[in-house]
Amino acid sequence: MNATLPTAAPARKGADQPPVLVYENVRKNYGDFVALNDVSLQVNKGEVMCLIGPSGSGKSTLLRCTNALETLNGGRILLDGVPLPTKESEVRKVRQRMGMVFQSFELFPHKSALDNVAMGPITVLGMSEKTARERAMVLLDKVGLASKAGNFPANLSGGQQQRVAIARALAMEPEVMLFDEPTSALDPETVGEVLDIMKKLALEGMTMIVVTHEMSFAQRVANWVVVFESGAILEEGPPAQIFDHPTKARTRDFLGHLGWNG
Amino acid sequence: MNLDWNVVWNNRDALLQGVALTIGLTVATMALAVPGGILLALMRLSSNRFISNASLYFVEFFRNLPLILVIYWAFYVLPIATDIQFSAFTTALVALVLNVSSYNAETFRAGINSIRKGQMEAALAMGMSRRQAMFKVVIPQAARRILPVVASTWISLFKDTSLVSVIAVGELAYTAMQIRAQSFRVLEMLTAMAVLYWLMGYPQAKLVDWIHKKYGVKE
Repeated sequence: MNATLPTAAPARKGADQPPVLVYENVRKNYGDFVALNDVSLQVNKGEVMCLIGPSGSGKSTLLRCTNALETLNGGRILLDGVPLPTKESEVRKVRQRMGMVFQSFELFPHKSALDNVAMGPITVLGMSEKTARERAMVLLDKVGLASKAGNFPANLSGGQQQRVAIARALAMEPEVMLFDEPTSALDPETVGEVLDIMKKLALEGMTMIVVTHEMSFAQRVANWVVVFESGAILEEGPPAQIFDHPTKARTRDFLGHLGWNG
Repeated sequence: MNLDWNVVWNNRDALLQGVALTIGLTVATMALAVPGGILLALMRLSSNRFISNASLYFVEFFRNLPLILVIYWAFYVLPIATDIQFSAFTTALVALVLNVSSYNAETFRAGINSIRKGQMEAALAMGMSRRQAMFKVVIPQAARRILPVVASTWISLFKDTSLVSVIAVGELAYTAMQIRAQSFRVLEMLTAMAVLYWLMGYPQAKLVDWIHKKYGVKE
């Protein structure tokens, strides 16, 4: 067995630039239930950050607070150094800069795949239908579904729907992509095709926050992994640390429950 | 029994005019009661308590009164109470729109609520305003889902327009009754009326079934 040389931890990706997102003491309650308890975190430019942890630990809530689908009860979130606005018209501007992909796809069932992708630019950016459709076609091609452009969501597999949903989010040319358990509702055989697209995006330098239970994806693709428990950050660090040398016993327990023996 | 079906044929022009007015009244009512229903449904779903309650009271008031009473009321009471005097046709239209808007409001509200929250969120997440999300994403889906219910309302309305004969609007029922009164051909005229209503109603029901099959959204 070869001895591995201890190497200094490489600098965190994007650390040389101002962070894209900063969470400062973020709190969120639903009635008496504390969903997020004093969460502070930063996301660097070009970084793929995976949020992992048990169900109900606050990962998805944090993501939903990021694009103001949920309002905070305390603390603040800064996008490029500017706190998220509260005024509806300004919130819309901020949301345009973040693409979101949902666990349940949420494609619009009354629109074809192409129109799902073209709709945001047409409705929100006021782009002409022709230009928007041409660009949508390029994006569908990118996710490998140009041949399905005319299909309605009901005639696409789960994996295909999620790839269209990714294209739809990309159509707004976001600075950050938010993935809320994008493969949890998929048949096992279609998980791979969605993860491949996400990996491709990561390689292109897209800043991504991914709530996921796909530990091997987090290990291979993430630059930074954050472990949540009971609405708080249990531990964070590069994947090598989290998966190979977790500092917290509860992180080991959580990974152990998933059958992770890395 | 001595039947004389000639009375139907001899009065065909008057009956056809009645038919035209029945159709016109139905179309005009729905043309106003669909936007009216959408407006009431959106008001009801508003987070503003005052707006929401105003819609609720309106709907519960008109939905729970017999239509014939609303027609009489609009005809006799409205002019006295408000000094507004409409023609019989307009009065009939007002009464029908008030009634059908209330039914439509409930249908649309149920339809809008049946579209899962994630659809609205997906639209908002891409930067749409609530209004855009409602009109581009939620309502088009809700509309397809409630089409059969609106169609039933349409067919009920088509037949219920006969009630406005009580204020002498010359639609099919009124016209047929007038001919009956003049000719004493009760059985012939009632039968003719039934045949005419049925012949017009049945294809509409079938048409709606077809529309639903063709444009219904699968999930």
